[in-house]
Amino acid sequence: MSQRSTAMPSLGREAWREMERNSRRENWGRAWYKFSHNPLSVIGLATVLLIVLLAIFAPFVTPYPEHAGPFTDFANAKQPPSLAHLFGTDVVGRDVFTRTIFGFRFSLSMGLVVLSLVVPPGVLLGLVAGYYHGTWLDTVIMRITDIFLAVPPLILALAIASVLKPNLFNSMLAVSLMWWPWYTRLVYGLTTQMRNEYFTTSAEIMGASRWHILFREILPNCVSPIFTKMSLDMGWVILIGASLSFVGLGVQPPKPGLGTMVANGARYLPDLWWIALFPALAIVVIVLGFNLLGDGLRDLFAAEEI
Amino acid sequence: MQTVLFIVRRAAHSIVVLLGLSIVIFVISRILPGDPARIAAGARAPDWVVNNLREQMHLNDPLPVQYVYWLRDAVQGNFGLSLVTRRNVAQDIAEFFPATFELALYAGVIMAVLGISLGAIAARHKDSWIDNVMRVISYLGVVTPSFVWAIIFLLIFGFTLGWLPTLGRLTEGVPAPPRITGLYTVDALLTGRMDVFWDALKHIISPALALAMGSMAQQARITRAAMADNLAKDYIAAMRALGVPERVVMNKFLLKPSLIPTVSILGLDFAATMSNAFLVELIFNWPGISRYGINAMLRKDLNAIAAVILVLGVVFIVANILVDMAVAALDPRIRLSAARGV
Amino acid sequence: MRKLFPALLILALVLVLSACAQQPSPAQPAQEPAAGAAEQPAEPGAAPAGARVLRASFAWPTNIDPAMGSDFSSGTALANLYDTLVFPNPDGSVKPWLAESWESSDDGLTWTFQLRSGVKFHDGSDLTASDVVYSMERMQAVGEGFAYLFTDVVADVSAPDESTVVFTLSQPNGLFLPSLIRLYVLNEDLVRANTKAEGPYGENGDYGQEFLQTNDAGSGPYQVAEFPLEEYLLMERFGDWWGEFAPNAPDQFRMIAATEPATIRTLMSNQELDISDQWQPIESLEALQQIDGVEVAAFSNLTGFYFMLNNQLAPLDDLHCRRAVSYGFDYDTAVSLEWPGTTAMVGPVPKALGGHNPDVMVYPYDPERAREELAQCQYADAIQDYPIEFVWISEVPDEEKFALLFQANMADIGIPVEIVSMPWLSVVENTSKLETSPHLVSIYVSSDLPEAGPLLKQRYHSSTAATWSQNEWLLDPELDAAIDDSLATVDQEERFAKYRAIQADLAERAPSVFVYDQVEKHAYQSYLDWPAARGEIIPVMGYNIWAPAIGVNK
Repeated sequence: MSQRSTAMPSLGREAWREMERNSRRENWGRAWYKFSHNPLSVIGLATVLLIVLLAIFAPFVTPYPEHAGPFTDFANAKQPPSLAHLFGTDVVGRDVFTRTIFGFRFSLSMGLVVLSLVVPPGVLLGLVAGYYHGTWLDTVIMRITDIFLAVPPLILALAIASVLKPNLFNSMLAVSLMWWPWYTRLVYGLTTQMRNEYFTTSAEIMGASRWHILFREILPNCVSPIFTKMSLDMGWVILIGASLSFVGLGVQPPKPGLGTMVANGARYLPDLWWIALFPALAIVVIVLGFNLLGDGLRDLFAAEEI
Repeated sequence: MQTVLFIVRRAAHSIVVLLGLSIVIFVISRILPGDPARIAAGARAPDWVVNNLREQMHLNDPLPVQYVYWLRDAVQGNFGLSLVTRRNVAQDIAEFFPATFELALYAGVIMAVLGISLGAIAARHKDSWIDNVMRVISYLGVVTPSFVWAIIFLLIFGFTLGWLPTLGRLTEGVPAPPRITGLYTVDALLTGRMDVFWDALKHIISPALALAMGSMAQQARITRAAMADNLAKDYIAAMRALGVPERVVMNKFLLKPSLIPTVSILGLDFAATMSNAFLVELIFNWPGISRYGINAMLRKDLNAIAAVILVLGVVFIVANILVDMAVAALDPRIRLSAARGV
Repeated sequence: MRKLFPALLILALVLVLSACAQQPSPAQPAQEPAAGAAEQPAEPGAAPAGARVLRASFAWPTNIDPAMGSDFSSGTALANLYDTLVFPNPDGSVKPWLAESWESSDDGLTWTFQLRSGVKFHDGSDLTASDVVYSMERMQAVGEGFAYLFTDVVADVSAPDESTVVFTLSQPNGLFLPSLIRLYVLNEDLVRANTKAEGPYGENGDYGQEFLQTNDAGSGPYQVAEFPLEEYLLMERFGDWWGEFAPNAPDQFRMIAATEPATIRTLMSNQELDISDQWQPIESLEALQQIDGVEVAAFSNLTGFYFMLNNQLAPLDDLHCRRAVSYGFDYDTAVSLEWPGTTAMVGPVPKALGGHNPDVMVYPYDPERAREELAQCQYADAIQDYPIEFVWISEVPDEEKFALLFQANMADIGIPVEIVSMPWLSVVENTSKLETSPHLVSIYVSSDLPEAGPLLKQRYHSSTAATWSQNEWLLDPELDAAIDDSLATVDQEERFAKYRAIQADLAERAPSVFVYDQVEKHAYQSYLDWPAARGEIIPVMGYNIWAPAIGVNK
C-alpha cells in the first residue's frame, strides 16, 4: 500500500518533469529559430560574443599586451595605422589596437558590475512594493524610487563620481546608485499586474507562503522583461561609463578606458585622427551589439507573451 | 476641473519628490571630506576669517540643523556662494540656464521634426531598402555617444568646411541682444536684429544637432514602430477601401495616434537633454548650466553642484507633468490621472 | 474645446517656465554699469567699426579680484586692469609707476612712496594714498593670491597725506620693493559702495568680494566691459589712462576661455584668435605653425616643472627612495618631448632666476644607481606595497606624457606608480592638508619675482606647506630660518650667496624631482607687434600679454 502510494506519484512526477523538460527544450528551440531569423539580432549576438571573447583573451590576441600597462616608447609615437600597428600608435607610442581591445574589458566589466549591483536590489524592491501595493511599504519604496528617477541618471552619477575618488570602481558605484530604480519601476509595474492574476490568487488560496508567491510565482514571470532590459542596459551603462571616463572620472591611466582614449585623442584631431577614431568606433560597436541583441530579445519575448 | 485637480495632485507629489531629492543632494554635498568654510575662504585666508565664515555658514550646528538652514535658503533661491565664481549660485544659474534651455529647445525641434519624419518615411516604406537605411541610421544615432557626435560636427562643420562657428553663442564683436527671454535667437528676433539672429542660429546648429542625434534616432524608431503597428490595423484598410485619400489616411488617422508614444518620450528626452548636454557644452564652449554644473563637479564646488541638480530636477518634473498633459490632449481616451508616477 | 484647454495650459506653463528662467536676480553687477563707473557704450560687446581687438585664449577660471587671483590668466587680467606702485623691467628690476619716487629708512623697515598726481580711476575719481592703504589692508585680510608676499612682511601702512604712503615692515626685507608689482591699487570708495554687509570680514562685510569678482575698481590701461563667467573677459581701453599706449595698441582686449586644441586651431586659422594659451600640446603647436601667418613664440618665463614629492609619506619619507626616484627618471626624453629650447633643471630653481646656484648636486638619469639607492631605502623589500600616486593636472594635457614616462621609468627600477589626473581646484584642495596630499604632484611653478628667494620660500618654507605650491611638507625650522634670513638681507650679493647655499642644501635632500625649466609657448598671428615675440620678455608672470604694449597691425 505504502509502496504503491509513493511509487505512483513519483512516477507521475518523473513523467511530468520529462514533459516539462521537453516542452522547455521545444520552447527554446522555437525561440532560437525565431531569433535566428532576424539577421540584426544574430549580428548583435555575434558582435557581443566576439567582443566578450576578445576581452577575455585580450592578452593573447593583442600584439602588444604590455601597452595596456605602464609603457612608453616615444620613438614609435604617433605612427599612422600600418600592419605593425593596425590602429596606429598614440602620442606616447602605445599600440591603439591593443589598448582598444583591452578597453573592451573595462567597458564590459563596467556593464556587468553595475548590472549585478543594480538588478538584485532593484528587482527585490520592485517585487515587495508591487506585492504590498497600496500599503505604506509600497509608498515608501516607490517615493524613494521617484526621487532617484526625478533626475536623469547621468547628472547624479557625475555628481557622486565627482565627490568620490576618481577610479573605475567608484564610477561603477555612482552609476549603480542611479540605476536600480529603473528595475524597481519595471518589476513594480509587472508585479502589481500579476498579483491579481489567477495563478497568484490561487496560490494564495492554497496557502502558499508570501516568499513562495513572490519568488516562485511572480518572479519567474518577470524574468524575460528583466533580461531584455538588462541586455539593452548593458549598452547604456557602457555609454554612460564612457561619458564618465571622457571627463576623467572613470578608468585611470595607463589603463585604457575607451572614453578616456577618445577624450585624449580628440586633442590631436584631425592630424592624428586614428588615436580618437578607433576607440570611438569601438564604443559604437559594443553599444550597437548590445542594442541589437536586446531588441532581438524584446521582439522574441513580446511575441511569446502574446 | 479635472485638469486642475490633476495639476494640484501632481504638484503635491512633486514637492514630496523634490524634498527627498534635496536630502539626497544635501548628503552628497556633505560627505566630501574637508572644511567647507576653509574651502570657501581659501587655503591662505587668515584663521579669524575662516572662523567667522564657519559661524555664518552654520557649520558648528548638527547636520539636521544645517539641512534645515540649507533648505530654508534653497527655497528662497539662495544656494550660497559658488566657490569658483565667488558669486551667488542663483545668479550664476539665472545667467547660464537660458543658454542650455535654448540649446535643448533647438535640439528638441530637431529631434521632433527629423525623428518623426524619418520614422514616418520608414514606416511608409516598411521593409523596403529605405526602411533598412533608416534603421541603420537610427541605430547609429542611438549608439554613438553625444561627445563623439560633437567632435564629428566640430571637425566637419567648423574645421574642414568652415561653415559654422565652434565656440560659444555669438561671434566676438556681435553684441548680445537685450535680455528679454535670455534665448539669443528669440531676443534678436524680438528686437529686430536679423544679423544677430543669424549669427546666434549658426552657433547653435552644431551643438543642437550633436545633442539631438541620440534622441532623434530614438524618436524615429518609436514613430516607425507605432505607425507600423497602426498601419496593420483594420480601420486603416477600411479607410483605404472606402477611398479616403492616402494623405488624409496618413496624416489624420495614422500619424496622429502614432504620435502618442513619441510625444511621451520626446518630452522626457527634452528634459534629459538639458542635463545630458554636459559634454556637448564642454566641447562647444557653450556657456550653459550643464557646463557650469560639470565644471562645478570637477572643481567640487558644492553649492553649485547642489543647485544645478535641484534646478534640473525641477525641469525634469515639470516636463513630466507637461508630457502627461500633452498625451492626454492627443488621446481623449487617456484620462489624466495622478496614479502615473513621475 | 476639451482638447484646447490642456494645450493652452501647456503653453502657459512653458511661458511661466521661461519667465522664471529669465528673471534677473536681485544683484547682477556684471550686467549693469558699476555705480559711478565710466559711461558704457550703448552696446557693450560691440566693437566700433575699425576697432583693434586683441584676442588671447587662456585656461580658466580667471579671478580678477586683486586679493585672490594669482594664476597665469588672473595675473594677466590684473596687470591690464590695475596699476601698481612700481612696474617690472625686462632685466628684473622695477621702475617708478604710480609711485614717482621712494626712499627707505637706514634700518630698511620704513618705506615712503610719493605718488604720481593726476591718476584717475576708471570711474573718473582721483587715486590717492588712502586707496593704497585700503588695498594693502584688504590684500592682507583676504590673504589669497599674491597676499603671501605681504602677510608676514608689512606690519603697518599709512597715508600721512594724499600723495604719500608709508609702509612699516616687521623686519628688513630685500624683496619688498619688487613685491609691490603685486599690490594692485583699488578704488576704495567704489569698493566700499559695493560691499555687502554680510560677510566674514567683520565690519568690512564681504570686502567687496562679490563685486570685484566681475567688476574692476582699478586705474589701469583697460577696464572690464563684459565678463560672462566661464566664457570670456572683455576689456576696453581706458581713454584717461595716465600712461602711454603703443601705436596700434588694441581698443579692446578679449581673454577667451578656451584651451581645446581643435577649437584653438579653428579659431587661429580663421584669424579669430591672436595669441593662443600656453598649454597647447606640442603636436597642436606644430600644427598651428603650419597655418599661414601663424608663428610660435617661445621664451623662458622663470617657471620650473617639478614632481613635488611628499616628503612625509612612505616610501618618499626616506631620502634613498627619493634619490632612487630622482635617478630613475629619464630627463633627456622628458626634455625631448618639449618645445626646442627647453633644458633640464639644475637644482630647485630655474636657471634664469637671480641667485641660481649652478653647482648643486644633480641626479642624472641612471637606472643602475636608482636601483642601488632603492636597495638602501627602508621600504626596499616591501616597495610593492607602497605604490606612488602620481597626480597630474587635468587642465594641462601634456603632463600626462610625463606621468606615463615616469610610470614606465619607475616600473623599470621596480617602483609601482598609480596615475591620477585631477582638476586644478582639487589639487589645490588636496594639497592643503597633509592627510590628503598625494605622493607626487607634477606641476609648473612660476616665480612671482625674478630672483630665487621668493620661489624658494613659496616652494619649501613651512608657511607654504598646506598650499598647492608645496607638496613636499618639509616643515624644517632651520630651513625656514635660512630662507627668512636670506629674504631679509638687503644687500643683493649677500642675499644671492644665501640663496645659493639654500639650493645646495635642498638639492642634497632630493625633496622633489627637478624636471625642466619651462619654455612658455604661444602661437600668435604675425600681424601682431608683440614685444615678447621679439624677445623683449618681462620676466614676471602675467606681464607678457600686456595689451598697451602690443600693436595689432591688421
